Amino acid sequence: MSAGAERLEKLQAAMADLALEADDTAFRQDPIAFAAGRGLDPGDARAFARWQRRLLTYRALVRYALRAPLPDCFPVSKALLEPEGLWEPCLDAFLEARAVQSPYYRHIHPHFVEWLAESGWGQDRYPFLLSLAHFEYLELEVLRAPEDGPVEGVFDAPAPERTAVFSAAARNLAYPWRVHEATEEAPIPAEGAALLFCHRLPDGRFQQRELEGPESAWITRLQAGEPLGAAAEAVGLPWDEARALAEDLRADGAVLGFA
Amino acid sequence: MTDRVPAAPASPFTGVGIGLRRPHLEEVAALAASPVPFWEVAPENILGQGGTKARQTWTILERDPVITHGLSMSMGGFDPWADEVLGDLAAFLKQTRSPWHSEHLCWTSVGGANTHELLPMPFTKAAVAHTADRVKRLQDRLPVPFLLENISWYAELGEPEMSEHDFLNETLERADCGWLLDINNIYVNSRNHGFDPKAFLEGLPLHRVAQMHIAGHAWDEEDQLIIDTHGAPVVDPVIELFAWVLPKIYDATGRAVPVLLERDNDIPPLADLLAEQRALQAVYDAALAPLLASAETRA
Repeated sequence: MSAGAERLEKLQAAMADLALEADDTAFRQDPIAFAAGRGLDPGDARAFARWQRRLLTYRALVRYALRAPLPDCFPVSKALLEPEGLWEPCLDAFLEARAVQSPYYRHIHPHFVEWLAESGWGQDRYPFLLSLAHFEYLELEVLRAPEDGPVEGVFDAPAPERTAVFSAAARNLAYPWRVHEATEEAPIPAEGAALLFCHRLPDGRFQQRELEGPESAWITRLQAGEPLGAAAEAVGLPWDEARALAEDLRADGAVLGFA
Repeated sequence: MTDRVPAAPASPFTGVGIGLRRPHLEEVAALAASPVPFWEVAPENILGQGGTKARQTWTILERDPVITHGLSMSMGGFDPWADEVLGDLAAFLKQTRSPWHSEHLCWTSVGGANTHELLPMPFTKAAVAHTADRVKRLQDRLPVPFLLENISWYAELGEPEMSEHDFLNETLERADCGWLLDINNIYVNSRNHGFDPKAFLEGLPLHRVAQMHIAGHAWDEEDQLIIDTHGAPVVDPVIELFAWVLPKIYDATGRAVPVLLERDNDIPPLADLLAEQRALQAVYDAALAPLLASAETRA
């Protein structure tokens, strides 16, 4: 890399530090030292001082761009953390981790959930926070999941020897907390398993159903490619119940057919 | 008309289009025909998505003329582009029959971290060379011509080696690409940094202009700064500058280039946006009428 390109990359890295680090005190107090500490030459460091106020405008713009999509997607998590003064620190920590890597703006939501999973942020105090945020994002993920392509050679009716072809939008989930019952008014979920199957209805709406243990285990096996009958037998689900559930899932568009 | 050879790709359509936005999808998809000459869309906001909004979007894209405009290639940055992203983008451009694809003359990510903000390039020779090289490399991967768009900037990043004017000029020339001229950004910069926007435009390669953007902005009282928000109607001085430059672009390119009315924040009802689009179309028609009449006479 040329010296000019190295200088360019250092300038961009310094700007990213200014925009993404939670604490901007060092830059406010001494922008030249802030820049010099990041390897910028004296001329560039002086420019950081000359443009200090406007560079802080950029910091505000970046932080707004990265935070703006989160409150609408995670209203219950926000309602949980905000009264304790933790919502803003949560977003600050998320930005500082530089977890937004995708060029797609819509990926900020899943990046937030992934960051919670990797960092464990807040989960010593709220052990359900990751499950809660994951569930909150789930609806958006299902609503925007890619369309299913045409499926050929499948049957409408389930049969023990057939396998199920699931929609790309179908999600079979097991949460250790009753996250789907949490609300902005009561954001702390009760302890207890929540076995949820979520998918997109043919008209585009989100559909969620709570399953019993054998039903959830059966669907897990179906998604792994096991035949309906063998999977039902393995989890102790009577065939009549399995068939009825399979027919429901087919009618709702969660299953595209049976092969 | 001058003797300069147009360096910009030609468009199959002209006039004033608007950006296709989520709040308008259902209404636009239900129309029998497009109410505008073209829509502009960001592939990043459509690629890989399904569901009701995606279905409405594709109804429109398959029916109406479309120009694509990208937000996240970080043309002045260093982060590599993922092959999958480039492949999906190329397929999208073919599928929508976009006449070209554009990105901003800025950077958005560094060290893998995406800021999702249009951040300013240092006005240096190395930045010119680096950006021009990235443009050429991206152009090699796209099935349509590529345009660079000038941005609004609020601070210089580092010690400049040249003016913004020279930086823009040299980058476009060295990249040898088309120019998406954002007339609002020229105006915003002229106000924020104190220069004459017409004098600024006079020395730039108007023969490279293939498309224009026009938008509203906001005054930030606290920072004493105009911010390019795309969240308000276009102001009169920008419309005046728009009308002034249109004939010059026609003179330089021999074409009436398409113009996009941008609105990304505080998005009004479709009817209100279409009313603003019609007003700008009238300005566009009036500014170009003498030149089009003259060309018709010559033909």
